Amino acid sequence: MLKKSLLFWLILSPLVVVILFPFGVMFVTAFRPREELFTYPPTWTFSEFRWANFAEMWVKTNFGRALLNSLYVSVLSTVLAMILSIPAAYALSRYRFPGKRAYRTFLLMTQMMSPIVLVLGLFRMMVTLGLVNTLNSLVLTYAAFNMAFTIWMLQSYFSTIPRDLEEAAWIDGAGHLTSLLRVFLPLAVPAMAVTAIFGFINSWNEFVLALTMIRSSDGFTLPVQIYSQVAGRYQIEWHHVMAATMLATLPVAIVFSWLQRFLIRGMALGAVK
Amino acid sequence: MFHRKVARLAASALAIGLLAGSAFAETTVNFTVAEYSSKTGPFYKQVAADFEKANPDIKINIEVVPWDSLLQRLTTDIAGGTPPDMSIIGTRWLLDFASQGVAEPVDKYLTPEFKGTFIDTFMKPGIINGKTMGLPVAASARAMVINTDLYNKAGVKPPKTWEDLYNASEKISKLPDTFGFGLQGKEIETDAYYYYALWTFGGDILRPDGKSGLDSPEALAAATFYKKMIDKGLTQPSPTNYSREDVFNLFKQGKVGTIFTFPMLIPQIKAEAPNLHYAVLPFPIQKTEATYGVTDTLMLFSSSKVKAAAWKFIEFTYQDKYRKQFDLGEGFLPVTKNIAALDYFKNDKDIAGFAAGLPYAKFAPVIANWEEIADTTVRALQQIYLGQVSPEDGLKAAAKKINGIRGL
Amino acid sequence: MNLSAGFKPLAMILPGLALAVLIIGYPIYDLGYASLHEVSRFGQFRGLNGLTNFRDVFQDPLFYGSLIRTVIWTFAVVGGTLALSLPIAMMLNEEFYGRGLARVIIMLPWSISLTMTAVVWRWALNGRAGLFNATLMDLGILKEPIEWLGEAHQAFTVEILIGILVSIPFTTTIFLGGLSALPQDSYEAAAVDGATRWDQFRHITLPLMKPFINIAVVLNVIYVFNSLPIIWVMTEGGPANGTDILVTYLYKLAFRFGQLGKASAISLIMFGVLMVFTIIYVLLVMRGEAGADAEE
Repeated sequence: MLKKSLLFWLILSPLVVVILFPFGVMFVTAFRPREELFTYPPTWTFSEFRWANFAEMWVKTNFGRALLNSLYVSVLSTVLAMILSIPAAYALSRYRFPGKRAYRTFLLMTQMMSPIVLVLGLFRMMVTLGLVNTLNSLVLTYAAFNMAFTIWMLQSYFSTIPRDLEEAAWIDGAGHLTSLLRVFLPLAVPAMAVTAIFGFINSWNEFVLALTMIRSSDGFTLPVQIYSQVAGRYQIEWHHVMAATMLATLPVAIVFSWLQRFLIRGMALGAVK
Repeated sequence: MFHRKVARLAASALAIGLLAGSAFAETTVNFTVAEYSSKTGPFYKQVAADFEKANPDIKINIEVVPWDSLLQRLTTDIAGGTPPDMSIIGTRWLLDFASQGVAEPVDKYLTPEFKGTFIDTFMKPGIINGKTMGLPVAASARAMVINTDLYNKAGVKPPKTWEDLYNASEKISKLPDTFGFGLQGKEIETDAYYYYALWTFGGDILRPDGKSGLDSPEALAAATFYKKMIDKGLTQPSPTNYSREDVFNLFKQGKVGTIFTFPMLIPQIKAEAPNLHYAVLPFPIQKTEATYGVTDTLMLFSSSKVKAAAWKFIEFTYQDKYRKQFDLGEGFLPVTKNIAALDYFKNDKDIAGFAAGLPYAKFAPVIANWEEIADTTVRALQQIYLGQVSPEDGLKAAAKKINGIRGL
Repeated sequence: MNLSAGFKPLAMILPGLALAVLIIGYPIYDLGYASLHEVSRFGQFRGLNGLTNFRDVFQDPLFYGSLIRTVIWTFAVVGGTLALSLPIAMMLNEEFYGRGLARVIIMLPWSISLTMTAVVWRWALNGRAGLFNATLMDLGILKEPIEWLGEAHQAFTVEILIGILVSIPFTTTIFLGGLSALPQDSYEAAAVDGATRWDQFRHITLPLMKPFINIAVVLNVIYVFNSLPIIWVMTEGGPANGTDILVTYLYKLAFRFGQLGKASAISLIMFGVLMVFTIIYVLLVMRGEAGADAEE
């Protein structure tokens, strides 16, 4: 076991190093005093932990506001996508109906359009709907773009839940709805949670649509807010950029590492079909 | 339970939206601000707040947009039928805005008195077919900045001609881990870095007949000169990996003798490389003296329904106290006469060094499809710097393509 | 078994379908409309101009260069990702000390947005100010700093490697899910029969993992083909268009040069390419599955 562990870590080590490298860069740049950004040759060490970088950045980049915006958009779009996906996935896994294959094909096709390609049309539509510059425009679009994936995941998972259980409850005299709520739902909750995490991460990191739809900086989500610190300015304050990136990444990374075992378990149970 | 929460959330979000909408039923002016630095947004928000206090019936809605995505944002806005009422744009885009009927001529709002506050040089690029399409809002002129420590160490004098620069760079490059000349070859303004040479060699971006000047002997001489410096190891290696910012970073590290840059770099050097000694000088000369004047324009959209209110705000922002705060904060050259007369702009050695070029400054030509023409130039330069084509072939091909874009 | 069919399932898929049709269907229609019209610098429709936009695209040498690079980019990133993710997933599926930590680390790139990953790498790969070269030089691996992004081929290779790096977490997750669902008894039986590990891999793991691999291929191809941030942030398709793929070229055309008609045409062509790929892939590789699908 020990030998195997060492061997595995040895094989994985190059990848581990490459993965951790950008995080290391982020870390040392974020804490560095500004005067030490451009020493030559560049070094991993620096004279002191400049915590003030974070405080300055928080104020300068309006970080708190962007954080709330990101949370609002990611949570609501995930909830919306789930509300719409669960019945659709249930229908796909339990019923035979006309146009089922066409519907599946349509879902796959919706994945093929990059948001960048559609940005102009989407914008025109949001103008018609009066939703430009509202976070709700992002909620709708993220939900729509995530739905294909969430439906697919939920459906493959639902198919693994034995139908006999529902039937049994049904025969016992429970109504269809009751059997759904009592028998099916509790079994499906883990899968829903896993699927929701996928949706959440996609929304949390999305950039192009947020950049286009949100016009005032009060509505910026985190990726846009951070990007605006880098893009085309006469001056880039790298220590602030990296501090912001770190703060935006850390919570997700922590939650993620805690949840990843559920992710994999969900995938396994979902036994992709 | 869960659903109820969501419903409540949605309802409260809706309520907030309604409140925000109804509390200000007065005129709202939407103003898109390009973000020069982290100071830009707060500055305009403060000016807007002052203005709203003085004019309670007008609300200014500031939208701060990063420069890199400004053109994309305005394109989507216009395509979607929701352009702002006014915006800061690059003057190089102005003709596209004007010729598509997107920009509103402002002559009828411009009182002689207000017009008189501006420096004429900076008004000119905004005049198209005799109509003033916008006001200068930010200006910079470019200059050469040298690392005096390196020059002293190598025992050479600050260069006056390109020949001087070449010789000095040769000596400085011999110092350990040091390069004589920082050459930009990547992304925004790669073409500008070449225009500095093009102009001082006596060439121009366009010939008098409107065709591209890239296939002129002067243009060839300038490109060949840069290429020779690359080949002889007088520049940093692989200029095509160095964006504007990367070249300046190299300078802040004290690793390069000479760069061409804008005034906004000076405060950065002071903050990030406090021990660096430098001097701001005019560009080296071959045939003529020149510098690149760059302005940004404040324009009014023709589709705006609140032009009068927007104009009122525009005049408000040009008060001396705001202009002073803006120019000093961002490190721009003044566009108004009163600010230019301030001691700071006369006595500060660095600023004076940049401002010195203004009388003979050249501006990017105000022509349609400028971005595409610039991109064609950059592509040719990168091919030349990389050695994929000879300077002659590269420039000729680029000139031909540009003439095609120009429809000539 | 089928519960009562009829309108119920349709009612269940309808709300989601409506949203998808609205949000994704309408812009596609808009795109098709724009591709057949002359579109002004700022997206206002002028007159119908037939297939002029498409003709412009096919006469543009830069389009073909970008098309070829898109194919290389997609195949290299997806191929590299699959080739690395499967062994990684197989290792992470076995018990060993620190497996939890290893899983967390491998998944980590997922938690930063692509844009930010690219920004950090660009900053780190900088020839003289970047920590990548500095570290390699400290370790004695490099003598001179290398300008990783200075020349197109090298820059493109670097971008592909980073593309692989950020695609690994998603793919590995799919594979791990698949691996942990594999029936253990067939391995035990194979072991009794004296099969080597390689035999086990070829005859048991690979066939059973097929559906997972298929879905990983289709989804990754779609995502990678359409992926803008890495190339855009690191090189903007340069130097001299040498790292332009269709998405970056399209972005330039649409939002820098204002050639919205031509850009719409390229979008549709891209959509067509992906669709043809998917159809071929489904026909060739996922056939068996399609059969299973019909049985439901």
